[in-house]
Amino acid sequence: MEYDIKFDQVSFRYADSDAAVLQDINLEINSGQIVLITGPAGSGKTTLCSCINGLIPHYHEGNLEGKVTIGKYDTKNIRVGGLASIVGMVFQDPESQLVTNSVADEVAFGPENFGVPREKINKRVAKALKATRMTGYEEREPHTLSGGEQQSCVIAATYSMHPEIYVLDEPLANLDPQGRAKVLELVKDIAQEFGKTMIIVEHALEEILPYVDRVVVMDKGRIVRDGTVEEVLRAGDIKNVFKRPDITRLAQAIGLPGFPLQPEKLVEELQEKYKLGKVKEVFDHPRGNGLGAPVIELDNVSHSYEAGVNALYDVNLTIHQGEFIALMGRNGAGKTTLVSHIIGLLKPSQGKVLVVGQDTINTPTHILARHVGFCFQNPNHQIVSFTIQDEMKFGLKAHGIDESEYPERIDKALRIVNMEEYANAEVFDLGKGQKQRIAFASVLTLEPEMLVIDEPTTGQDPEMAKEIFEIIKKLNQNGTTVLLITHNVDYAAMYAKRAIVLNHGRVKFDGPIDDLLKDEPLMQENSLELPHITRLAKQLSPYGVPADTVFFEDMEKYLQQMVEVRHGN
Amino acid sequence: MAIEYKKGNSFLHNLDARTKLMIFVGGTVIAMIIIDPILMGILFLTLYFLGRNAIDKDLLNNNLKVLVVIFLTFSLFQVLWFTPKDSYFLFYLIPWKNWIPVTVQGLIRGVAVFFRFFSVVLAVHLMLYTTPPVELALTITERDKKRTLQTSLAVILLLGVVFFITALPYATDTGAFLGIQQTGLKLAALGAACLAFAWIVFKVLGRGLPAEMGVALMLGFATVGIMAKQTEQITNAQKARGYDVQPKNLIARVKVLTALLIPIFLATMQRSQDISIAILSRGFDYNISERTYRREFTFHRQDYLVLAVLLFVIVGGLLLDRMGISNPTETIIMGWIQ
Repeated sequence: MEYDIKFDQVSFRYADSDAAVLQDINLEINSGQIVLITGPAGSGKTTLCSCINGLIPHYHEGNLEGKVTIGKYDTKNIRVGGLASIVGMVFQDPESQLVTNSVADEVAFGPENFGVPREKINKRVAKALKATRMTGYEEREPHTLSGGEQQSCVIAATYSMHPEIYVLDEPLANLDPQGRAKVLELVKDIAQEFGKTMIIVEHALEEILPYVDRVVVMDKGRIVRDGTVEEVLRAGDIKNVFKRPDITRLAQAIGLPGFPLQPEKLVEELQEKYKLGKVKEVFDHPRGNGLGAPVIELDNVSHSYEAGVNALYDVNLTIHQGEFIALMGRNGAGKTTLVSHIIGLLKPSQGKVLVVGQDTINTPTHILARHVGFCFQNPNHQIVSFTIQDEMKFGLKAHGIDESEYPERIDKALRIVNMEEYANAEVFDLGKGQKQRIAFASVLTLEPEMLVIDEPTTGQDPEMAKEIFEIIKKLNQNGTTVLLITHNVDYAAMYAKRAIVLNHGRVKFDGPIDDLLKDEPLMQENSLELPHITRLAKQLSPYGVPADTVFFEDMEKYLQQMVEVRHGN
Repeated sequence: MAIEYKKGNSFLHNLDARTKLMIFVGGTVIAMIIIDPILMGILFLTLYFLGRNAIDKDLLNNNLKVLVVIFLTFSLFQVLWFTPKDSYFLFYLIPWKNWIPVTVQGLIRGVAVFFRFFSVVLAVHLMLYTTPPVELALTITERDKKRTLQTSLAVILLLGVVFFITALPYATDTGAFLGIQQTGLKLAALGAACLAFAWIVFKVLGRGLPAEMGVALMLGFATVGIMAKQTEQITNAQKARGYDVQPKNLIARVKVLTALLIPIFLATMQRSQDISIAILSRGFDYNISERTYRREFTFHRQDYLVLAVLLFVIVGGLLLDRMGISNPTETIIMGWIQ
């Protein structure tokens, strides 16, 4: 049976809001298509997905106009449970969807709900785990798995329900490169082998575009572009809404006819069309400030959570005033354990940690926090108040700052994160990206000498991510030392000066980030993905392009020089 | 220390979850029936031996150590206040006032009570440490409506026997029972009443929780670990913001708690919403009354053995009581003394 998806003049507003989240959506997706839905945060992508699996109107209350049909079924007339047998949904955060104590139970949960006999459930579980390469994980607790494994587990749990349509809402957002690659392979297998309909919401265009047939771009609740990959790329960027992958934009900038997505393809097309010349002018970007006094010193630090199993081995590091450091490594490499030592949340089993000369063994965390501001990945863990004002005052009160200083400090912090117009808002009115910035601002009110930031861009669209990095850069330029945990090598390469790579609790690399970019085997070994621009630069290095190029603008100029030289000849 | 499931392959681990639940229920019943300190000690040691083979000895000992003082206090109360009329007096605890007599019977009862509490607690520990929480939840959930007639009759009969022995004095006493004077008829009436009661108990308890509640319980068990992790993350986040989460001042401590409770509350609300969406999207409301289960519960030889031993001890304990020798240790000691 065919299960085409049809949105007919669909508009939706949530019960507690006046603004329409979806407006006049007309969309038809035929069985077997792989469709990418993209657009900035708040453009209505998740709401659109919730309409497909019936969460709207059956779970999320609000006013739904128009009609959504899946095959012959009107979603208004069929329960979420009924639609679940046709539409499988995978959300952004895998951990929030794991509801049982073992992988096998998790995968069996859907078929159990459908009343599938036990023998068949066992067969479905085995098949789903095999398809998602999770065989052998049956009795593992889902919450102890890595992000990529958790997402695979959720996909297996959906697969075992035998849906005809898969809706994947930002399935790559919380994963490291290794996890992302794993999930993408799964998506490809399921779509190609079984011919299922796939609807994927994602910002990571470079990674996802090679797999999809069609792209739908949304903005402010409307569909603003819809077509094949080539049609959508040919139509160009939409300011603040849709930005094509760097490689595609570069190809267009130098007049290539195709729409390559991978650096290798661009080089191929470039060599086909042009006889390339050497680059004459090379650009240099001095990074960060000079070295100041040591702020953090780790001296032979080891840490073990349980006897005999070390999470950190003999780590020696010195972080100086004014540095901008990216701390990288795959999930479970020991990054969080390391930064937890810097703020005193963990004490070393061996060795010594000094924060501005104070030994963390004898100094409580709340005292260390005067020097080191810590921004957590999940802002909900940090925010304790209902209004922005109270939230901003919280840290100031805890540190006994004079009340007369509050207004100035709060204004300054909100200005830094570009949230000054929200000074009197309530926390509940904010989206995830805004909450992240408020959590950030509340740390900044204390004017710490050093900032430790854990994955600030998770789940943010590219515009928001760039904005956050610009804020961090501004702080660093004003003298704040920055230690940033990130999987995003693209941003780290553009903003940080020094990189530290951890692997199984050991420091595998500590030095200028430019040197790290040149060490491809080390990057691969640590599941770090070279930025596309740098990958292209490496291939074009025989033409004089610096192999550590990370900026789009630089690469654009190099390519133009190479092509201009040909014209000159 | 939190009592949570530890994986393993011991005798206890390999028992069916229902058997382990019955060890707990049966162990509690036995602890209530038997008042002999040596028999209670044997029960405790048997459970302890099973526990040592199933989970880490130190973990088990550490958990039990915490309770020694509490249970010794309970025992002391028994020693001090259990003084039946014809008990054998030893001494007064406060001799110059002749206050608080200590008797042989009191001492014996004290020892029995000590083991009684430990046996019950140990039975709970063993059940929780060796059974995956999901299995415990499903054990008490209505799953399989197909139960053979023979099984139903056997369970009703066994329950009836236990009730019959418990209620035996009503039929053997000289007075009328349900208006009947003749002993034979009284026994028959009691037997019928016990069987009827056993049938009611079987129907009520055998039904189990509705599937909605069972699954809710299962999800609840799975969430405990995540919430504990989340609470730790929230506490760490507040510490890292410069908040002293363990101030010495009591009022400040209450304030700290408030600051932590808001994000914990919000995180819990968020988690409940996530779970609702996740289970709905996976067909939870498809047709709950027809829900099936991957996990299979099957009794094996060792399960029947354990259940038989439990039944034997319960019935034996009841019979000893009815025969007036419920505390042989006390009888022997008193025999020596006199």
